[in-house]
Amino acid sequence: MTALEFHGVSVRLGRGRRAVTVVDDVTLTVPSGGVTGLVGESGCGKTTLARAAVGLVPLSGGAIHPRSRVQLVFQDPYSSLDPRMTVGAAIAEALPRRTRSDEVSRLLDLVGLDPALAVRLPRHLSGGQRQRVALARALTARPEVVIADEITSALDVSVQGLVLNLVREIQRELGLTMLFISHNLAVVRYVSDHVAVMRAGRIVESGPVEQVLSEPADAYTRTLLAAVPTLRSAPGA
Amino acid sequence: MLRIAALLSLLFLLFLTGLGPIIWGDDALAIDTAALAQGASAAHPMGTDGLGRDVLARIMVASRLTVGLALLTTAIAVAGGLVLGGLPAVLGPRAGRLINGFVGLVVAFPGLLIALVLAVVFGSGGTAAALAIGVASIPSFARLTQTLAASVAGRDFIAAARVLGVGRVRMLYRHILPNIAEPLVVQATLGAGGALLAFAALSFLGLGVQSPGYDWGVLLNEGLNRVYINPAAALGPGLAVVLAGLAFNVMGEYAAQAFGGRSRVIRTRGRSSRPAPGPALRVRDLTVRYGDAVPVKGVSFEVVPGERVGIVGESGSGKSLTALAVSGLVEPPGQVSGDIEAAETAMVFQDPMTSLNPALRIATQLAEVATTHEGMSRRAARSLAVTRLTDVHIAQAARVVRQYPHELSGGMRQRAMIAMGLMGTPRLIIADEPTTALDVTVQKQILDLLREVSTTTGAAIVLVSHDLAVVGQLCSRVLVMYAGVIVEDLPVSRLTAEPDAGDGPAHPYTRALLAAVPDLTADRSRPLATIPGRMPSPLDVTGGCPFAPRCPRADSRCHAETPAFDGAVACWHPHTTEHVLKEESR
Ligand SMILES: Nc1ncnc2c1ncn2[C@@H]1O[C@H](COP(=O)(O)OP(=O)(O)OP(=O)(O)O)[C@@H](O)[C@H]1O
Ligand code: SF4
Ligand SMILES: [Mg+2]
Repeated sequence: MTALEFHGVSVRLGRGRRAVTVVDDVTLTVPSGGVTGLVGESGCGKTTLARAAVGLVPLSGGAIHPRSRVQLVFQDPYSSLDPRMTVGAAIAEALPRRTRSDEVSRLLDLVGLDPALAVRLPRHLSGGQRQRVALARALTARPEVVIADEITSALDVSVQGLVLNLVREIQRELGLTMLFISHNLAVVRYVSDHVAVMRAGRIVESGPVEQVLSEPADAYTRTLLAAVPTLRSAPGA
Repeated sequence: MLRIAALLSLLFLLFLTGLGPIIWGDDALAIDTAALAQGASAAHPMGTDGLGRDVLARIMVASRLTVGLALLTTAIAVAGGLVLGGLPAVLGPRAGRLINGFVGLVVAFPGLLIALVLAVVFGSGGTAAALAIGVASIPSFARLTQTLAASVAGRDFIAAARVLGVGRVRMLYRHILPNIAEPLVVQATLGAGGALLAFAALSFLGLGVQSPGYDWGVLLNEGLNRVYINPAAALGPGLAVVLAGLAFNVMGEYAAQAFGGRSRVIRTRGRSSRPAPGPALRVRDLTVRYGDAVPVKGVSFEVVPGERVGIVGESGSGKSLTALAVSGLVEPPGQVSGDIEAAETAMVFQDPMTSLNPALRIATQLAEVATTHEGMSRRAARSLAVTRLTDVHIAQAARVVRQYPHELSGGMRQRAMIAMGLMGTPRLIIADEPTTALDVTVQKQILDLLREVSTTTGAAIVLVSHDLAVVGQLCSRVLVMYAGVIVEDLPVSRLTAEPDAGDGPAHPYTRALLAAVPDLTADRSRPLATIPGRMPSPLDVTGGCPFAPRCPRADSRCHAETPAFDGAVACWHPHTTEHVLKEESR
């Protein structure tokens, strides 16, 4: 099993004088077989950190380990699937040829989709259906480390629950190491053992999830907690 | 009109290319010694050349060589351009930069100049000239391929395939090329027109086709020598070149429109506007069909002015389609039926990037709404745009209006979208997942903004969301959709009430949805509550209650008979709430 380690990772995006530091000296360890949640507002560098971990953006400093068998599930199901490729072809792409059709059906079923959808193009699916396809596709590569970037923000609650349970189940069964990025603190709390709070490229607070969420040390963490929409105390009622 | 003319002339051209030499081949070679270098006559409508051959027949026959060479040229240009433009994607960043630099350098030279130099190098003759012009147009095609490929390469699906370990070559032909094919086809069509003209020019100069072969350029040259004796002999091939060039160009333009014309335009077909008093929205028996699939099956509801209504339901339940249909935005082949009466509507989408035009500044897009719909002057519209952006709490609005959509953050774009809706005087704002792509802090601000807009302007809001908590935060009433129908219509207070305390939703589906929402107090050691099974697809014909296969309260009646929606709930065995009964008896 492998832990996912970030050692003093920095990422600068853009060229020359217009370059900006998006991730700033991040040191974080996702323990082997554990789930660490990463929260923070949009543009704070969560997605960039995730992309750096799978080699989609180069590091300008520090190191990340391991460098292989890491899969990323993307946030936006509208652009993470090739609009010209059927669902089945997208999933089959990373599979060995002979097991393809069985495996495609199994994976579709696993994420709660009708295997008959395999022949459809992404544009014929609703947003939620697409994200499940993207999830199934990431699992084809049998990764050891999975980074989930806001994977449930486009899913509806019933499927979100299904996917979260599924993610937890698969994570435990396969002993996956997982970095779970989400803006939904309730979701992060449910899935993760540890949580790290990121702001403007830096980790401002991290620790066991219950502790960070019940006794937040950083002012920004408290702001995030206050912004969580909850049903039971809805102000609109 | 123009399109049909272009299509017809292109078809005619292809017909000539294929059959011209067969039909007119003999005439074009027949030497009429009795009529050397004559003007137009009944026997020779365009006269004869110096050897007494019929000019019209020769023009017809020459079309094969002319069009054929133009197509060959284009094929060379496209093939070379694809290879050179695609290589950077295949070779990786370093070699890619080198190639890009080279292409950038070559593109700077005028194509015709390169063609002339190459024509000298390759020697004279038709094929050599085709090679010259073809090779000379490679750089511009390569540049186009590169630019297009780069724009596609930035999309997530390319990144996703890379993470999965898809190789670069496969990436190019499986993911990149299919997604840039349309603009390339357009450019190739336009290029064929250009090649045809360039060819005529080269042949005319004696650098292209050599006798005894002849294309239109050669004929034009011959004709021009005797233009005072027989003008038709020069006009004929000249006209043929111009018409054929035009036909290719118009076809290219048309293809560009057909491929690129999918931009969303707010249309209001299929719905009637209503003047102010009365409900902000009244929907009767709304049905949306795609062939055999019926994703929305007879939905009826009303929204009164100032009311904030949420539509919730699982993915694929038809909530987005309902919202789109209400806005008149369902695109063919979708068919909408039913009655929709809506007051002036503004629509806010999940991804404002798809509804804002990336090529126009914010000011231009916002002002357009007021100048076209409200007949306001350009100047006034622009200052109103700044006011509206300020209204939606965008700091430094005067600067932001001069920016392009991609320069704004997700939250700002969404505000700009709402501001755009406020440029008119909407009585109804339909927002489809307006905060799904945003993080919690921005989400809260946008929801607060929508609430503020509705209280200050009195506009009603229909909020489509899969997130019950979001709906709970903004709305006072909730419609729950399942498999294309409304199954419950309830006040938010019942949604947020403790279901065990004798209150709460009546429909088992609504309860199941609620139970699946994780909150900050959920028991982490237990799996989250989910709804087993799947929602029926829009293709399924369901007898009985559509929720029956997943419902814990289902009995034989549920499987046999479809419960009708009684205005509050569509269920044979709703959870009765003592509280509500007490209220009613009071
Ligand atoms: N252009 C189309 N062609 C065929 N079927 C379509 C089309 N657009 C939507 N559908 C189908 O209509 C159904 C309802 O789609 P809709 O987008 O309204 O769902 P939704 O409730 O908004 O879901 P989500 O929460 O995922 O956005 C889905 O099953 C979808 O596959
Ligand atoms: S009608 Fe029957 S199956 Fe349908 S929701 Fe009500 S109890 Fe469940
Ligand atoms: Mg939707």
